[in-house]
Amino acid sequence: MILQLKDIFKWVNSGGNRIFLLNNVDLTVKEGEFISIMGASGSGKTTLLNVIGMLDNFDEGEYTFLDESVHDLKEKHRANLYKEYIGFVFQAYHLIDELTVYENIETPLLYKKHSRSERKAMVADMLDRFNIVGKKDLFPSQLSGGQQQLVGIARALISNPKLILADEPTGNLNSEQGEEIMQLFKKLNDEGVTIIQVTHSESNAAYGSRTIHLKDGMVVNNQS
Amino acid sequence: MIKNYFKIALRNLFKNKGYTLINIGGLSLGMAIVLLIGLWVHDELTFDKNHDNYDNISQVMMWRTRNGKKAIRYAMPYPLGDELREKYGEDFKHVVMSSFHGDNILSFKDKNLSLRSGFMESGALSMFSLDMIYGNWDGLNNPNSIVLSETASKAFFGTENPLGKTMKVNNELNVLITGVYRDIADNATLKGLDFIVPWELYSMLYPWVKTAKDNNLWGNNSYQLYVQVADGSTMTSVNGRIKDVIYNNVSEYSRKSQPELVLHPMKNWHLRSNWKNGVNAGGFIQYVWLFGIIGLFVLLLACINFMNLSTAQSEKRAKEVGIRKTVGSSKYQLINQFLSESFLVVLVAFIVAIIMVFMAMPWFNQLSDKQIVFPFKSVAFWVMSIAFILFTSILAGSYPALYLSSFRPVKVLKGTFKTGKSTTSFRKALVVVQFTVSVILVIGTIVVEKQVDYSKNRPIGYNMNSLIMIEKTTNNFEGKYNVIRNELINSGAVVEMAESSSPLTDVWSTNGGFEWKDKDPNFITSIATNSVSHDYGKTVGWDLVKGRDFSRTFATDSTAFILNEAAVKYMGLEDPVGKTIRWNNEEHQVIGVVKDILAVSPFEPVLQTVYMINYPNTNWIELKLNPERSITSSLSTVETILSKHVPNVPFDYQFVDDTFAEKFEAVERIRKLSTIFAIFAIFISCLGLFGLASYVAEQRTKEIGIRKVVGASVFNLWQLLSKDFVKLVMLSIIVATPLAYYGVIKWLNNYTYRTEVSWWVFAIAGIGAIGITLFTVSFQALKVAITNPIKSLRTE
Repeated sequence: MILQLKDIFKWVNSGGNRIFLLNNVDLTVKEGEFISIMGASGSGKTTLLNVIGMLDNFDEGEYTFLDESVHDLKEKHRANLYKEYIGFVFQAYHLIDELTVYENIETPLLYKKHSRSERKAMVADMLDRFNIVGKKDLFPSQLSGGQQQLVGIARALISNPKLILADEPTGNLNSEQGEEIMQLFKKLNDEGVTIIQVTHSESNAAYGSRTIHLKDGMVVNNQS
Repeated sequence: MIKNYFKIALRNLFKNKGYTLINIGGLSLGMAIVLLIGLWVHDELTFDKNHDNYDNISQVMMWRTRNGKKAIRYAMPYPLGDELREKYGEDFKHVVMSSFHGDNILSFKDKNLSLRSGFMESGALSMFSLDMIYGNWDGLNNPNSIVLSETASKAFFGTENPLGKTMKVNNELNVLITGVYRDIADNATLKGLDFIVPWELYSMLYPWVKTAKDNNLWGNNSYQLYVQVADGSTMTSVNGRIKDVIYNNVSEYSRKSQPELVLHPMKNWHLRSNWKNGVNAGGFIQYVWLFGIIGLFVLLLACINFMNLSTAQSEKRAKEVGIRKTVGSSKYQLINQFLSESFLVVLVAFIVAIIMVFMAMPWFNQLSDKQIVFPFKSVAFWVMSIAFILFTSILAGSYPALYLSSFRPVKVLKGTFKTGKSTTSFRKALVVVQFTVSVILVIGTIVVEKQVDYSKNRPIGYNMNSLIMIEKTTNNFEGKYNVIRNELINSGAVVEMAESSSPLTDVWSTNGGFEWKDKDPNFITSIATNSVSHDYGKTVGWDLVKGRDFSRTFATDSTAFILNEAAVKYMGLEDPVGKTIRWNNEEHQVIGVVKDILAVSPFEPVLQTVYMINYPNTNWIELKLNPERSITSSLSTVETILSKHVPNVPFDYQFVDDTFAEKFEAVERIRKLSTIFAIFAIFISCLGLFGLASYVAEQRTKEIGIRKVVGASVFNLWQLLSKDFVKLVMLSIIVATPLAYYGVIKWLNNYTYRTEVSWWVFAIAGIGAIGITLFTVSFQALKVAITNPIKSLRTE
């Protein structure tokens, strides 16, 4: 088991009313799963992913990540978890505009203790794996959306995470590019990486081993 | 890691060239100013430190109390040196009597030069630890010796070793060169002292000194006394012991003014030479402090720009922060990143600043009357510089670093991130601080300017046009007054000639013991006395208000007095002309009253002065040149005639108006410096304002587009955008006004004769600040206001 959410609530207060963003969510994720979170706009998919990724807080409930209780964690410790176990992939890619492809992929390694030559080897390996060696000195603005997302995934993978959290990874891509990314995810999952993705598309969700449907912050079904 | 930080920093700097230019430009300007001020302050604080015995050297000074007022005197009586040596010997390592330093004529063969010099006792060389090139510190032991500065030696002998050669002092005394010392440092009180001759020669050369020596005159104070306190003694303990030495030796009459000796330590000579009511009252040190603080403020202004622009750009950097946090960066690492970024900017700014300072050095030296050399080779300087860079990086970078690193990824990565109100108000507060400092500096500058003008427009009581003064450095002038005067006037080069004991621009002697009818017997008098020739009034063009001028037709004028108005007031005389004043056991009749002649400080009241006829007592010649002839030809005629009558004396003259203008040098320097600092402060603040305005304009592009679509005019929009900034600057003016008022009043209190601080000073500063703000902001405001709304709305 990689993580477990128990009775998670998250809300905002608006004019005396409490609006629930997450309402009594229970979720257990085992290693090697590929989970898709689906739901209408505003159903709380991204919020759930952010809570799982510890980017966002929750108001009530219990969250255990690799046997550690998350709501007790200090920011510094949380940064350590990111470094060690989690890779993020964003809809808008979120590459650093001022860094080249190579440097973007290298960034997570800078926050770990890797020597220069080690980093070089790891980045080279990653570039090779994604077939973007020729693009390594380009800046994000010089790449197509699909290429940018490839870089984003490469960056997420470089530190060998146990878990990849992807927020609509294909949302900004055309169908062909999207297909490619999903194939890639599938392959990664086969290699043992746990993946949780938020998606609008049924076909994308189909790549997963399990889909979770959210409505108004509540899990409506939890089919395998 | 660091490399990665620098890389991204550099790319960011290049990407936002405008901001970078403002940032680095402003910072380097600020740093350059701080460096200059730092070098200047260092120079001031190390004044006189070139002397090894800096901590133990003192000048002996004397307090005198007259009519309840204490005043300090530098002049000591002749026997004091011997008295201290004999009775308090164990307290002193050296006791050195010295003449006041002035020009004396030094000759070798046909060459005569008028050089700054002093007659000093032999301990002077080792006490002041002069750096001997030839000879040693025993050089003045032989009473007929002379030691020269390197400059003086070169002037006469080139690079030759001059030891053993014989020179002549004031055309009378033969002296043997026994030493040459390296020129005394520029930042030293003794700067420019070109030769030293033994104290014994002083009494051989001047009869009045001989009289004082032979008769052990305790009442005649005409000499300086330097001491070096013995290693086992402290200044305080010595002070206590020697306090009453003068009192115990002077006449009953002189005791009335309660003479009291006090040591004036060398470390205070330059920076703390003001005295008030019995204590040292600081002095130039206040300007060292003032400029030091101004320097820090200028740096603060530049750092504020940096903070302001960095936080203004924070939206651009927010995404990066979010990404870095999600890939595992800790807050601490991000703080490090942004601090190293500011370090990089500061480092670049520092390098630019060093270049600026290096180029400005000659100009700055001229402005500040210094000889500061850029200390490229000083390790201490570079160590300080590194500390300075780090300090500035932290000052400028820590707020942006803390602010930027605190972003929460979930917020910034959503793409809807907008900086909050709190940072905007922080930035506004920074602008207020900037303009407060600038407005204070502007007000200060206007007041200094006003004070200079005011004191310059003060009536001086005589006519200084075409008036020159010549000091009679040798006795060769004696008895030749009439011959020289006649010949000069006949030549047509000179309209009138006179002689006097004090130069027109100073008071060389004050005396006590004046008595007159109705004088309060307890009133202790102290009046400036000026011995003059009959033609003095005509030559200087003084302004006779009552009675008549000295005249050769009245034989009794040899004992007559002419008073200035201050003296009439001081004595409380009504109808002074015809009154009799007793002085030195003689009766003197007042024959006239003249308007006050401004001789000493243009910021202080004119001293009560008595003018009397006494030819032998005169030290100076005054010449009124013929205004209808060219100055050059008149001067050369004067030189020819003088050299005929007084050969081997260099023709060394000064224009009275030049010498008078020197009195304003200090305050002029302050005026120039404060003007420059004020201009730079405003400039730096405007840079920041400009940056902020462009940021705000960018932020509000959409709003402005909408407003335009619904019918706002360009003027409306300009108003909208400028209003906020004008409000801030008005707030600054409100904060600055009382602070500046307090400051300038405090400064003006240094001067007895001072200008008023009128309301319009503050009005001008305020209107100026608002004007400059509008000018700076309008550029951006108009740019946005004129933009076609379709363009700005399409950006969404």
